[in-house]
Amino acid sequence: MIAHDDYRIGERAPARIERPTDAAAVAALLRTCAADGAAVVAFGGGTMQAFGNTPARYDVALDMRGIAEVRQYDYREMTIGADAGMTVAAFTRVLGEHGQFVPLDVPNPEQATIGGVMAAGWVGPRRMVYGRPRDLLIGSAAALADGTIARAGGMVVKNVTGYDVGKLYVGSLGTLGIITRLNFKALPRAATMRLATAVIGDDIRDRVVAAIGSLAAEPSAALIIDGFGEEPRVVVLIEGSDATVDRTTRDLRSALGRAGVAETTLLDGDAAERAFARIIDGYTAVVAERTITVRDAGLPSTVWERAQRALAAGAETIADLRTGDLIARFSAVEPLRTLLPRAVTIAGAPGLRAQTDAWGATPSTIAQMRSMKARFDPTGVLAPGRFVGGI
Amino acid sequence: MNAFAARLTEALGADVVHSAPEDLAVFAFDAYAENRLPSAAIVPRNAREVGIAVRIAREMGEPVVPRGAGTGLCGGAVPHRGGVVISFARMNRIVELDVRNRRARVGPGMINLQLSQAIAQHGVFYAPDPSSQKISTIGGNVGTNAGGPHCLSYGTTTNHVLGIEYVDDCGEVHRTSIDDPGYDLTGVLVGSEGTLGIVTEIDVRLLKLPEQVRVCVAAFPDVESASEAVSAIIGAGIVPVALEIMDRLITQAVEAHYHAGYPEDAGAVLLAELAGSADDVAAAENILRDIAAKHGSLSWRAAQSQAERDALWAARKGAAGAIGRIAPNYYIQDACVPRTKLPQVMQQIDDIAREYDLPVGNVFHAGDGNLHPLLIYDRRDKRKVQAVIEAGSAILRTCIEHGGTISGEHGIGYEKREQLGLIFSEDDLAAMGHVRDVFDPKRMFNPDKIFPTGSVCGEVAKPLAV
Repeated sequence: MIAHDDYRIGERAPARIERPTDAAAVAALLRTCAADGAAVVAFGGGTMQAFGNTPARYDVALDMRGIAEVRQYDYREMTIGADAGMTVAAFTRVLGEHGQFVPLDVPNPEQATIGGVMAAGWVGPRRMVYGRPRDLLIGSAAALADGTIARAGGMVVKNVTGYDVGKLYVGSLGTLGIITRLNFKALPRAATMRLATAVIGDDIRDRVVAAIGSLAAEPSAALIIDGFGEEPRVVVLIEGSDATVDRTTRDLRSALGRAGVAETTLLDGDAAERAFARIIDGYTAVVAERTITVRDAGLPSTVWERAQRALAAGAETIADLRTGDLIARFSAVEPLRTLLPRAVTIAGAPGLRAQTDAWGATPSTIAQMRSMKARFDPTGVLAPGRFVGGI
Repeated sequence: MNAFAARLTEALGADVVHSAPEDLAVFAFDAYAENRLPSAAIVPRNAREVGIAVRIAREMGEPVVPRGAGTGLCGGAVPHRGGVVISFARMNRIVELDVRNRRARVGPGMINLQLSQAIAQHGVFYAPDPSSQKISTIGGNVGTNAGGPHCLSYGTTTNHVLGIEYVDDCGEVHRTSIDDPGYDLTGVLVGSEGTLGIVTEIDVRLLKLPEQVRVCVAAFPDVESASEAVSAIIGAGIVPVALEIMDRLITQAVEAHYHAGYPEDAGAVLLAELAGSADDVAAAENILRDIAAKHGSLSWRAAQSQAERDALWAARKGAAGAIGRIAPNYYIQDACVPRTKLPQVMQQIDDIAREYDLPVGNVFHAGDGNLHPLLIYDRRDKRKVQAVIEAGSAILRTCIEHGGTISGEHGIGYEKREQLGLIFSEDDLAAMGHVRDVFDPKRMFNPDKIFPTGSVCGEVAKPLAV
């Protein structure tokens, strides 16, 4: 058997690759796999396969990229339904033609698929303004291990009909079912996007953090980046009408000036968007197969303190001042785990990832989660061992 | 006193447990038509007491029905199989407030509006604002994933719940957080109408109060033209904070009661709220006003003061109550359709009402496509009661035919459960059944709700073996 390196996860490669071309084929495949006891891992662009642990068994890679159509989109509705295998970039372009977007904010959108990033539970830096991807999900369909396709939600923006099962698949890493279709509420793109960047020395970083916190108008994103290929800097994304963006820029510049920042560089429009996308690409970049990156979720009020501890231990960090996320890139599992015991792995060299549980800590509701897994996947063929607590 | 009430009283004390029929009467109903007395009702002080009650109910095979303020439209809080009703009237406080991180932890009995009022001094608010917010509770809002006018831009309750403490079917207390790794139990608990566990605390997200708010009222000749204007506004990529429509019947009823200044002679009134910076609000108002004019608006007026804004909103949110002035009884339907379908669906609702010879009032969250037709009747006329039920059903079918759904913000409850099968297949319902099996294999939490009789999720089916 050929080693299918493109579909490798950790030290495991699948024996077989399947490339279904419709949702019914996915469901049929799952039914066969469940009957045969063949372990299945769904694959999109593979950009987030470092999430989760190496599967305990891995027989079939299910490449979802052959299911990649927009199924329903009337821009006047501001809702869109698309196949899970569509790339984030293609999806974003379709919406962009009508001045709309779904703020997924993922690394490598040309490769990443919408189903993949939702299954990985990706959350980006603009979520305080626009909501998490799960908040914009209004409907979905998933192929289950019993060979059925189960839908939840619909194409309307308010919906309380039955359980919101769609949310269970988000972040489940394909351990309950394989998402085949996603319906989202789309948002209007802001008229103006501006990215303000300033290089900051060690001596003024505390003051910069305080300055950002004091802004009257809330920026879409505010990051303090140490490492990740550049000089220590603060990056602030401002979105809105021209007038609002200009006013917030003035406020930001004067607040940063008072904090001791000499110069703030501004990028507008496409240039701002590209620069912001490059920063997000960096979240999951692995340096020379020698690093591991985690996301430590926490309160915005504590993120800078967490970042400082990680920096002192030699990590590169992105402190997300608005969401409280700390993205930290280490070159070894220790001191990572001592410092950030609850952080989850989002990228890393396979050798390093294998040394630590990708999920950090086990949630107190693990018994309910195990029970959920047992109901949806009684024979344990959906990405076994990938998830929290060995699920 | 029945044996169940006696056990509860022994464990929790007479100040927590109610069992006299005259006391139980207040726990027998919600805004739906059918009532049923429970065997007992408790008003616990904390999750521990909820856990004790759940354990006793489990041992004795009695259902457990959580209750907010009883404002739901679909019988979701009615104890159709008896058992114990849990009221959260004592668990009604802010447990923790963290303004810096924009979060609060509240008891499920906290009244929605009281939360926003209590925290306004800190420049923050809680966004979901169902029209019942003066009395409905956040716990009840979580149960039905409640919406409200301002959900157009802020999203519904589920978008504002960060975590939940709940009591499971064994009486154990658990806490979830959307930031924890693992399955999104928080997401599935919201909107589960009390069928998965008993929510005892809620972590909510708070938003910063906008710099400026403007509330505008446009008059239109009819509901269809107002609906077309709404479709055009959304189609132009503008999402105001709220976009509401009231027809003439509703407008006249609320004006008679509230004197808020709505144009009573208009066929329909569009209420729009804009929020943001002063510049943005002014710019958006101009665009909205132009679109309204293109769709035949007869007038446009912006409220000039906070008092005027509050009066307009109080009247809008009090619409259902105001109908009491002009009708002996009314039946409110809750459905949601894709937003471009609004004009057609409104026309068809009009046709249905005419066919059944029922006056219909329309007051709805137009921007979200969330309809609330109000059928007016007299309960003493049995033929009219039947007509209302049939017309309500016809309206739901119309919404489904246009790609919509049978509940936007009130849930399925008891009333609409047989219609859930019009939306979902057996396979879809089976996945929901898995979730029910995880949390409530004995079907003791709020039985006879949401799921059709005999479906795998409901009470008739045998729970699966673990």
